[in-house]
Amino acid sequence: MIRKTFVLPLLFISLGFLSCTKKNKVLEYGLELKDTIRVNLASEPPSLDWIKATDTTSSMVCENMMEGLVDYDLSDPNLRMIPALAESWKPSADARVWTFTIRKGVKWSDGVDFTAQHILDGWEYLLNPKTASEYAYFLFPIKNAQGYNSGKIKNFSEVGARINDKGQVVIELERPMGYFPMLLTHHATWPVRKDLIERFGDRWTDPGNLQTLGAYKLKIWDHDKALVLERYDGYYQEKAKTKYILGYMINEYATALNMYGSGKLDFQETLPAKELPILKNLPGFRSAQMLITYYVGFNTSKAPFTNLKVRKAFSHAIDRKQITDLLGAGHAPLTSWIPTGLLGYENDRGLRFDPELARKLLDEAGFKDRSKIPKIIYSFNTNENHQRIAENIQAQLKKNLGVEIQLANEEWKVYINRLHTDPGQMFRMGWQGDYPDPDSFMNMMTAKSENNYTRWSSARYDQLISDAASSLNPEQRKKLYSEAQKILTEDEVPVVPIYIEYRNNLLSQRVKGFPINPINRRVFKEASVE
Amino acid sequence: MITRIWGWTSLILFAVTVTMSYFDFPIPRAVWWLDGILWLGGTAVFIAARGMGVFVLRRLLETVFVIWVIATATFVLLRTLPGGPFDQEKALPADIKRNIEAKYHLNEPLHVQYGLYLKGLSKGELGQSYKYIGRDISVIIGDSLPASIQLGVYALLISYLIGIPLGVLAGWKRGSFMDSGSMFLAIAGVSLPSFLMAQVFIQVFGYQGLNWFESAQWLGPEYYFLPMVVLGIRPAAVIARLTRASVLEVIHSDYIRTARAKGLDAKSILFKHVLRNSLIPVLMISGPLAAGILTGSFVIEQIFNVPGVSKHLIQSVTNRDYPLILGTTLMFSLMLVLANLITDILTAVIDPRVKTL
Repeated sequence: MIRKTFVLPLLFISLGFLSCTKKNKVLEYGLELKDTIRVNLASEPPSLDWIKATDTTSSMVCENMMEGLVDYDLSDPNLRMIPALAESWKPSADARVWTFTIRKGVKWSDGVDFTAQHILDGWEYLLNPKTASEYAYFLFPIKNAQGYNSGKIKNFSEVGARINDKGQVVIELERPMGYFPMLLTHHATWPVRKDLIERFGDRWTDPGNLQTLGAYKLKIWDHDKALVLERYDGYYQEKAKTKYILGYMINEYATALNMYGSGKLDFQETLPAKELPILKNLPGFRSAQMLITYYVGFNTSKAPFTNLKVRKAFSHAIDRKQITDLLGAGHAPLTSWIPTGLLGYENDRGLRFDPELARKLLDEAGFKDRSKIPKIIYSFNTNENHQRIAENIQAQLKKNLGVEIQLANEEWKVYINRLHTDPGQMFRMGWQGDYPDPDSFMNMMTAKSENNYTRWSSARYDQLISDAASSLNPEQRKKLYSEAQKILTEDEVPVVPIYIEYRNNLLSQRVKGFPINPINRRVFKEASVE
Repeated sequence: MITRIWGWTSLILFAVTVTMSYFDFPIPRAVWWLDGILWLGGTAVFIAARGMGVFVLRRLLETVFVIWVIATATFVLLRTLPGGPFDQEKALPADIKRNIEAKYHLNEPLHVQYGLYLKGLSKGELGQSYKYIGRDISVIIGDSLPASIQLGVYALLISYLIGIPLGVLAGWKRGSFMDSGSMFLAIAGVSLPSFLMAQVFIQVFGYQGLNWFESAQWLGPEYYFLPMVVLGIRPAAVIARLTRASVLEVIHSDYIRTARAKGLDAKSILFKHVLRNSLIPVLMISGPLAAGILTGSFVIEQIFNVPGVSKHLIQSVTNRDYPLILGTTLMFSLMLVLANLITDILTAVIDPRVKTL
């Protein structure tokens, strides 16, 4: 009699068991495994509007669907610029006016011909104050672009971009800029279809509404669950090798690793640092240097870091290698500001680890009696890795300099807000280059940069950066950056570079021909499955 | 008689709907309508028949007030939180920041922002997300809420299906091996943290173990099972303990003694008298239990990658996505208030002693 009370739950549970039909060959949405690469996007893409998107998930999706005037050759270690929607381009002698010849015969996924006007429409949309795009600054080098974005100039026709009678896009810049084409690889500067935006409003990126011209087009966007890209057969270059990209949105990396381990996922990017020693041995583990650096900054307006010798002493007292060894993620120690792989990188630039010299410098700075040093607080945002680095730096400074520093951590947005308003004496920060040019790194330490939290500035440094940016001559640029780097990392030392970041990922053995590169472009068109 | 037919029809229909949803059968619209009419209509008739109309109306008005208080408190707390939605690693040039703030009215004085917000709220507009650019909060919640509700309902049902029989058994066979065994399970269920339980279940039933169920995503019955069970275990344990205590109380009451004296068989006593009466307290904690499942689902949704709404609640705070924080907070509050109201009504249905509320 009582057993009967168990019938119902048992029935329910057994129904649960019965339902475990294992699907092997056919994936979700009826995709076939042999035609599909399964990647983890890690989160819902915040926006597929490439003009407004600012995060890496959205860019990963957009970079497979869309293209700009120019592109990087991802198979080239130097990331050479190659033609994309522009057939060719050339600068004026002073690098102030750039002319792009538009490729003919490119069609959007709804069959509409691509024209130069789509480029200008994209720029108008990007710069329009109402769009409120965070990346509008990518086009600020164009004449009057910033004025239009700030609302001072009302008419877009005053912005220095136009189509000439040969159908070419002619761009006039505010000042000479040798690396200008690189800016046009960024998704914020890509063309848009004004007609679709006007017709669908915010819904223009929904499947069915969205039209693109890259190797893939959007097939399914099942919010918070998955996203499917389908090969675009009308693509103007060689068609994508794999028919579908299925993007899962698995936030929990442990879950994603489980799926990878059981062969249900082909590509996973975020790997937990602590598990790297094990993951390194997995087939398909890949590692690549990124254009991302980690540094410690000093607020040069706060004691004791108003004193140059103290800053130098601290820089000499930190052994970067100890930190990268501690993290075990494969990062490379760094003393210069320009990271490895970029023009102007100098192996021997920056202050080396030298505890003896460090102690001497601190003595000379007037702190022979260490108890006279004002209380120093090192601030960082709450995060396990930053915590480990901070504790290591604390220990190194105590051992190598005899200086006690205190650690203070804050939640990310609070921390960022403080850096903007009142940075602490010592703080951690990272920097990711927007484009593979040294200017992307050097420019952020100029006086007018919003990202320079050190309160340090140097007129000479700013001049060198400005000169180097406008030059078309690599040798001359190298020389200018060399002097600027010396000022930054050896003579004035407002910052202590710590390491260049390496990113690790897992790629299933069944996927071939998927490039890994320092700018973290994840383009699947060359990737094939076995 | 009519009440009885109504009651059974709606229960059976509900069971059918849930089963269909569990096995991913497309549920015809007619079933939803029938569900709605039976449940809402039945409840409305019942409320009217019991003369509870005023009570329910008063509670609903209170709800509006509660929601307003919560909306205001959240609004004020958010604005006092340091760090704004557009503070980020790469600092934005001043012009661009101004454009963004203008777009979302963040440049207005606080009282104007509050006024705009309340005005939108009164029209049922929750605004657009800052993070998910161009997406309405109501759409985001509408997209993610079904999975959360599914998970919650399954978990609640399974907790009743496990908890009640276990509790009845333990109470009925007090002191036996069955009793101590099920109470041991219940204590374990209450005290083990759900994230630990989740890992154990994944290890045992996931691909590394028996490989019976999927341990991530939300795509079908084999995906629903583990999160449902893990989320349901804790309330099941609570229910089992409560049922047991309640059964013990009831079997020692006079009317059961009378029933036995009359010579009723054990089966009738258990099902007609003991079970029915001992379920009242169990039903009365459904509200708090549902609340527990709602809050407990944060962790479970994260671990099993269920595309539910609680992820948004957490991430929106990290992102300082004000409209999304406000939207999800209000939604959770509303659900809690309603869960309690429903419990009150249900209690009146089952317990004839509860008349004047």
